[in-house]
Amino acid sequence: MINAIIGIGYNHRGLEKACESRNYIQDLYIIERVCGICSHIHSTAFCMSIETLTGVTVSKRAEYIRVVVAELERLHSHLLWLGIAFHEIGFDTMFMYTWRNREKVLNLLATIGGNRVNYGVNTFGGVRRDFDETINAEILSTVDLLEEEIKSYLHLALTESTLAVRLVGVGKLSHEDAIKFGAVGPVARAAGIAEDMRVIEPFGAYKDFPLHVATDQGADVYGKTVVRILEMQESLRMIRLCIKNLPDGPLTVRVPRRVPAGEVLTRVEAPRGENIHYVRSNGTDMPDRVRVRAPSQANWHGMQHMLQGGNLADVPITIAAIDPCYSCTDRAIIIHSENETKLTDWRKLRQYSIDWYKKQGVDCSTLKL
Amino acid sequence: MMESEEKIVQILCERFPFLQGRIAARKAKRIFSDALSKDEFMQIVAFIHDELNFRRGHLVVGTDEGDNLGLLYVLSNPEFILLNLRESVPKANPVVTTLSDLYPSLMMHERELVSLFGVIVEGLPKGISYPLPDGWPEGNYPMRKEWNPDYFNRNTLAYDPPQEKEEQK
Repeated sequence: MINAIIGIGYNHRGLEKACESRNYIQDLYIIERVCGICSHIHSTAFCMSIETLTGVTVSKRAEYIRVVVAELERLHSHLLWLGIAFHEIGFDTMFMYTWRNREKVLNLLATIGGNRVNYGVNTFGGVRRDFDETINAEILSTVDLLEEEIKSYLHLALTESTLAVRLVGVGKLSHEDAIKFGAVGPVARAAGIAEDMRVIEPFGAYKDFPLHVATDQGADVYGKTVVRILEMQESLRMIRLCIKNLPDGPLTVRVPRRVPAGEVLTRVEAPRGENIHYVRSNGTDMPDRVRVRAPSQANWHGMQHMLQGGNLADVPITIAAIDPCYSCTDRAIIIHSENETKLTDWRKLRQYSIDWYKKQGVDCSTLKL
Repeated sequence: MMESEEKIVQILCERFPFLQGRIAARKAKRIFSDALSKDEFMQIVAFIHDELNFRRGHLVVGTDEGDNLGLLYVLSNPEFILLNLRESVPKANPVVTTLSDLYPSLMMHERELVSLFGVIVEGLPKGISYPLPDGWPEGNYPMRKEWNPDYFNRNTLAYDPPQEKEEQK
């Protein structure tokens, strides 16, 4: 890869504008749909913003339930990512195993919220779903089961030589570049930046049970893999602590429909990293401005550097390593050479790669799609 | 709890007296400035980056303030303190200078300001339009308050407000 230009955004949905002409409760449902994978953490950030503006304090029980759902969401997101990463490097057996485990988390989320995505757990002032003894037992038994499975993934990552050969040194973003390009989440932590909003700006159970922030110094795809597996182990620990210490208390407290004029900037840790919500209120029941900076948007900036100098065959895993959310992006690849610049579609790109590898003595042209 | 934040505010006010009373630590890890003019804003940016070590650019929030456009730059230092600097420019001539040379991570956000608010960002490197689709009508800035989605045809990408029709008559 000589160079790459990142272009995203053809699926701009205008959600921020839509929020300005609807009331806060309606906006909560819009915000939960910013992302299908990490819907809960978006609604958490939005609820926390409104609770700050209205001066409302949420009960500890509600905060603990929010944390449990957030960590279950992180588990299913990371398991999804791990499966895709294995798939991208041709390790489809492990893709099947990780996604089988992800199903268990999704089933649990469906039991809690009634949906596999967009669980609708959050509301202003607390949560809409409670945990009873049956759900608690189901969560703990699933956590026990996943703990064994995730331990085996860590063992695999640390001992399987083919994984190391395929991922070490691939898609590197140095510590300095990670800061310069504003990398967040596992991408930043794999470059040695110990940044996690659950520790920097904790709420609820994150305050009561401090988290260990997993980091790596490799700054490559291998490091991002190890960081995410270690984070899953932390998620399991946190869920278990929350369930075993779930406080009594109301699920919700009353929040006024009209939000006093003001502005707030809330940061929470989504599975992919720092998720920022800015809300400006004007004293009515509709916000004046809502701005969402999802973590994928932050991580795209460093992609050019991660790709430069690498092999074409490493492009899929390098892109996958930031766990991008394609639902809000488009894909275009521009190839620069010394004499010309051309926009390349998928078919042309395939031919280009076949020709390139042919020159290296490898003939891929007989491969069937 | 807020020693670092207060110290940063104090350093800024001593170095740039025009910030006195216009910048404050609202709570832990949150420093907000009032609206600064383009000149004031550009005076302090290099100092913040080089001397105060605010090396990470998180986002820029565009806001419609009526006759002005507001730009809230969110930056952070290694202590994870967020410095929220607000720049204000007249809507009639919304020209700002890019910060993408100091903060490459803000380039995409500045492109948003161009497409969604009609801000002219001087020095912003040429690049792919973001985030609106190709063929988006010139002069339509959907995040400005006067832009009403009810008058937008999503199939033809035409924006046809009734006021303009009356003016044509």
